[in-house]
Parts: sequence; structure tokens; C-alpha cells
Amino acid sequence: MVFNTGAALLDAIVLAVVSKEPEGTYGYKITQDVRQVIELSESTLYPVLRRLQKDECLEVYDMECAGRNRRYYKVTSRGWAQLKLYESEWRQYADKITGLFEGKTNFENVTQEMMDER
Amino acid sequence: MNRTDFMNQLECLLQNISPAEREEALQYYNEYFNDAGEENEQDVIEALGNPAKVAENIKRDLYGSGYGDAVFQKDITNERAMVQYQQNKQSSNTVDNSTDKENKLSTGTIVLLVVLGVLASPVLIGLASSVLGVVVGIIASWFGLIISFGIAAVALVAVMIILAVVGIMSMFADVLVGTAMLGAGLVCGGLGILFLMLTVAMAGIATPAICRGIASLCRSIFRKKQAA
Repeated sequence: MVFNTGAALLDAIVLAVVSKEPEGTYGYKITQDVRQVIELSESTLYPVLRRLQKDECLEVYDMECAGRNRRYYKVTSRGWAQLKLYESEWRQYADKITGLFEGKTNFENVTQEMMDER
Repeated sequence: MNRTDFMNQLECLLQNISPAEREEALQYYNEYFNDAGEENEQDVIEALGNPAKVAENIKRDLYGSGYGDAVFQKDITNERAMVQYQQNKQSSNTVDNSTDKENKLSTGTIVLLVVLGVLASPVLIGLASSVLGVVVGIIASWFGLIISFGIAAVALVAVMIILAVVGIMSMFADVLVGTAMLGAGLVCGGLGILFLMLTVAMAGIATPAICRGIASLCRSIFRKKQAA
């Protein structure tokens, strides 16, 4: 992957991964799921989860699993709103870049506006 | 290095953060090892890198300077703030606070400028009045010059008329004296007409031209300011 993943995009990816599990999901699985989509070092994810939790985009609960405690992460209503925002922002961004690559961007309007300014 | 070593080292490295944060992080990585399974223990340790790097990532995020991985170390806080500002009230509150701070800063600056203005007023008033004096002086002397040239023209023409009349009259007594007087009168008349032309040129042509020049200069300065 030649493109950097910024913090906002990383937040969006983690929120999206967690949102796929209505009952919530846990750290190890989130890491593996995110790594299916983007390359990242495994130690990067804990701070992201912690921050999203502090921002009240994720809530946690502990559940007994195979005799051990496991912490589950779930998207809150605020987290959903944030995810929707990220999705629409991403769509706008991706459409613009795709439009540019495919030659659908109309530069004439821009040129006209620049001429008008003069 | 095995799992126990890794966790012990991590705990040591996290001594300088709050106990709650430390517990949280240690619990996370403990569970992480549990979920990865015993058979993957070495893989997980390799994938996480050394404990120092893990600890560094945790601390860096706590101190709010972004994610630890080199890829994510760009200027992050702005990006987040911008998106969350539209989203949740809590964030918009913090944004409001920051604008308040900016306002306070600008009023502080205004007070400072006023104080500075008061302190500098003797110098400023002196400077402004001297500039005003010079400008008024230049204008007054210009018009004074025009008026004096006009008066000189009128006087010279009057002298010409008088000398011509006297010259013609004295021609009957002495032709030479009369002719000399008439000639002097004509010379005066010529000089008078010259001054009259100068007066007309200064008042009628040069003054409006100078006014237009100053006006266009002011306009061009104003326009440059607007453009900038």
C-alpha cells in the first residue's frame, strides 16, 4: 500500500469493523479484521480503541468466555453518527479522486471562475 | 522472550502513566495473548515488536500527539477536531472555548494598541501637524505665486497703457523722449502678457493636472490595499 492511512481514516475503519458485530467484538478479532483491509502494526490498534472509547464512540463490557474474561467493544449511538459522517466524507473524497482518474472532472468551470475573479 | 517476559517488561515501561491506564493496557494485551492462543505466542510477540515500542505507542496517544506507528504520525489532532466538530456537542464546546480565548487575546491586543497610541501621541501629533503644515504651506505658496503673477501682469499692462499715453503725448514736445517712453511701455506690456500667460497656464492647466495626478495616485494606493 503506497497511500498513508490518516488517523481519521483509521478511526473510520475501526468503527466500521466493530459495527459489523451487533453484539460487540474483542481486541484480537478487531486487529485481525482490520489487518485484512489495511497493513498496520499490531501495536497501533490499542491506542485507537482506547481513544474511541474515551470519545464515547465505543463502549466496552466484559464477558466470561471459556473460563476467561474477555473485553468486548461495541459502537455507541455517537459512534454510529461518527461512522455515518466518515462514510459520507469518504464517499465524497473517493468520488472526486476517481472522477479525476477517469477524466470525468470538469475543469472548465474552475477556469471560468478563476477568470471571473480577475 | 516469552509472554510473561513481555508482559513484565511492558508493565515496567508503563510505570509512569496512571494506574488505571496501565491496568487497562495490560488487560488488553493479556487478553490479546489469550485470544491468539498459546501456539501463536511467539508470532504475537514478533508482530507486536518489542515492549518498548508498544509502551511508546500507548504513551504517545495518552499525551495526545497521535498514533505511534510512523505511518500515523502526521498532524492528526486537526483532522480529528474538524470532523468531530460537526458531529458532537462536546467537541463543539471545546471549539467554542478556543474561539473565546482568541477573542480575549484580540481584546488584549486592542488594549495594548490603545496604550501604545496614548504614549506615542505627543510624537504622533507633532509629526501629523508638521506634515499638515508642509502640505498647507505648499498649497498656499502655489496659489500665492499664481495671484502674485496675476497682479504683476495687471500692473505691467497698466504701466504699458500709462507709458503709451504719456509717450504719445510727449512725442509732440520731444520725439526721442516720446518714442523711448512708448518703447518702454511696449516692453512692459510684453512682460505683462508673458505673466498673464503664465498665470493662466498655472491656474487653468497645471493646477487641475496636479489635482488629477494626486487623485489617481490615491486611487492606485487604495486599489492595491484592496487587492491585498
